[in-house]
Amino acid sequence: VSDIAAPGERLHWPGVPSALDSGDGAAGRVAGVVRARDARRALQLALAGCWLLDAVLQFQPAMFTRTFSDTIGAAAAGNPAVIARPITWDANLVGHHLVPLNALFAAIQLLLGLGIAFRPTVRPALAASVAWAVAVWWLGEGLGGVLNGTASPLNGAPGAVILYALLAVLLWPADSVATTGRHRVGRAVAPFTAAKAIPAPLARALWLVLWLSLAFFALTPANRAPRAVGGMIAFMASGEPGWLAGLDRGAAALVSGQGLAASAALAAACTAIAAGVYLPGQAAACTLLLAIVVATLIWVFGEALGGILTGGGTDPNSGPLLVLLALAYWPATTRGAQERGRCRGSGRARRGRPSPARPA
Amino acid sequence: MLTPGWILDSFAAVMLGVAALSAARLVLARSWRRGAGLADIDLAHLLMGAAMAGTLAPGLATLPRTAWAVCFGVLTAWFGWRLARDARANGTRALASGHRAPHLVHSAAMLYMFLALAAPAAGNDQGTAGMAGSPGNAAQALSLPTLALVFALALIGYGVWDIDQLSGRRYRLALAVTGAQEPLAGVSVSPGPAAFDSTAVGTTTADRPAARAVLLSPDTTVGCRIAMGVTMALMLLIMI
Repeated sequence: VSDIAAPGERLHWPGVPSALDSGDGAAGRVAGVVRARDARRALQLALAGCWLLDAVLQFQPAMFTRTFSDTIGAAAAGNPAVIARPITWDANLVGHHLVPLNALFAAIQLLLGLGIAFRPTVRPALAASVAWAVAVWWLGEGLGGVLNGTASPLNGAPGAVILYALLAVLLWPADSVATTGRHRVGRAVAPFTAAKAIPAPLARALWLVLWLSLAFFALTPANRAPRAVGGMIAFMASGEPGWLAGLDRGAAALVSGQGLAASAALAAACTAIAAGVYLPGQAAACTLLLAIVVATLIWVFGEALGGILTGGGTDPNSGPLLVLLALAYWPATTRGAQERGRCRGSGRARRGRPSPARPA
Repeated sequence: MLTPGWILDSFAAVMLGVAALSAARLVLARSWRRGAGLADIDLAHLLMGAAMAGTLAPGLATLPRTAWAVCFGVLTAWFGWRLARDARANGTRALASGHRAPHLVHSAAMLYMFLALAAPAAGNDQGTAGMAGSPGNAAQALSLPTLALVFALALIGYGVWDIDQLSGRRYRLALAVTGAQEPLAGVSVSPGPAAFDSTAVGTTTADRPAARAVLLSPDTTVGCRIAMGVTMALMLLIMI
């Protein structure tokens, strides 16, 4: 079976028959594979979907106006010169060649999405997505405002696009496998999906740094001012459909003048989430559930769904990516580990022979 | 400035290609002789390709918006009925595994798009659809933009899923060719009546010319669906 789709972990997610081979399961029997999905491949597909959404959004009419290059140029403000100068150069370049460059940007993102979804190209596409995301994070987003004091969890800190890169690294299709020649001699069972490509302590450290940085940004002076949180949420209501604008205005009224309390609560939640991956199974799952809830609240109230419904959003912003990250850290179930163990055992027994047909 | 015309024209050309492929499949496969299970997919692709090409490039517009809305209303009802029948026969797994759910979403998205387009500007009496950036067309926006986003997300989701399925199957086939002859032979077996119809049409064709085999293969159907899904999502989000 495909090593790209991570061998030995197909039973982790109960299978859904293919759209191509539904019915008699003939295609599913072709190579005798179990028609099941693995969690990492599912998250890769979600990441591919995000890139495709980004590409489509990049084709919006607003992206072919000076507003796009002006937005890039504005990211330079407040950043150190060594960071700001390339951003200004990039904004000028885009401003002078707006249509071809924006079309190129959209095409690149389209290819990244298609490449990640297409199994044979998933590795080069993920690698290219890391490079592209880092370039956009610097030249397009000014490092997400991390260095100029404008970063806030509510506006997508530390920059949505860098989360794409982080996800690409965590979902890299390789396992920590010790091999001798062609025979696998051992593999540590990853405690969660993100720990399959990189060691679990490193994966946990990345999660810790991410969420502690969000807690830090929530408490910066600009973000804990009495009217900061309410003002930020109310600002996002502009141009949104009635239901979303109503939600945002309601939330803004709720926290109006309570900036410090709201920021402290958000920082406390982020801190708890950051530490959650070091807790045992059920407790970790609870904090990850909290992360999903917080990310969803941030996406709806702080980011207004990334501004997509205004026709001016270039991406869905950080909310959905934080949810994907939380899912990548979701503890592996005991049942899933047992099934993987059985799968590896039977796989060793059958190695060298075609697998038997599996009833549809 | 709006979305440049050459970009929309490029997508329109792709849609015309999809429509042409689907028309050729209808003719070559004589799908109607095998029952509506085959013809509905290719017919839907043909209609969607033509409608989207006309929406992207006004010069390719063929039918008034109302006529397209009726077409896709019928297709939506058809795929909805087929899906409900599948679900009754095979349980809820049919909702996730079959090919009718994505076609239902595609048809419903097209229906929504033609119904939700704002009233045409003065001078566009025929009511033909046109993209915001199309030359000669007034900017048009969709009502209920949240629904447009929901449809776009569903279309992208199905597109990604289809690419994964398509490439996964090809990947497994390649491995089977090199490592397991016996299972590969299973492909040659004609599926039973319950099989996915396109698979029945397109898998084995030793006696069929290569070009015809490629044209009639299920991969071509799925490739068309991916192209249409991405293009439809683009149109929906551009018109928000």
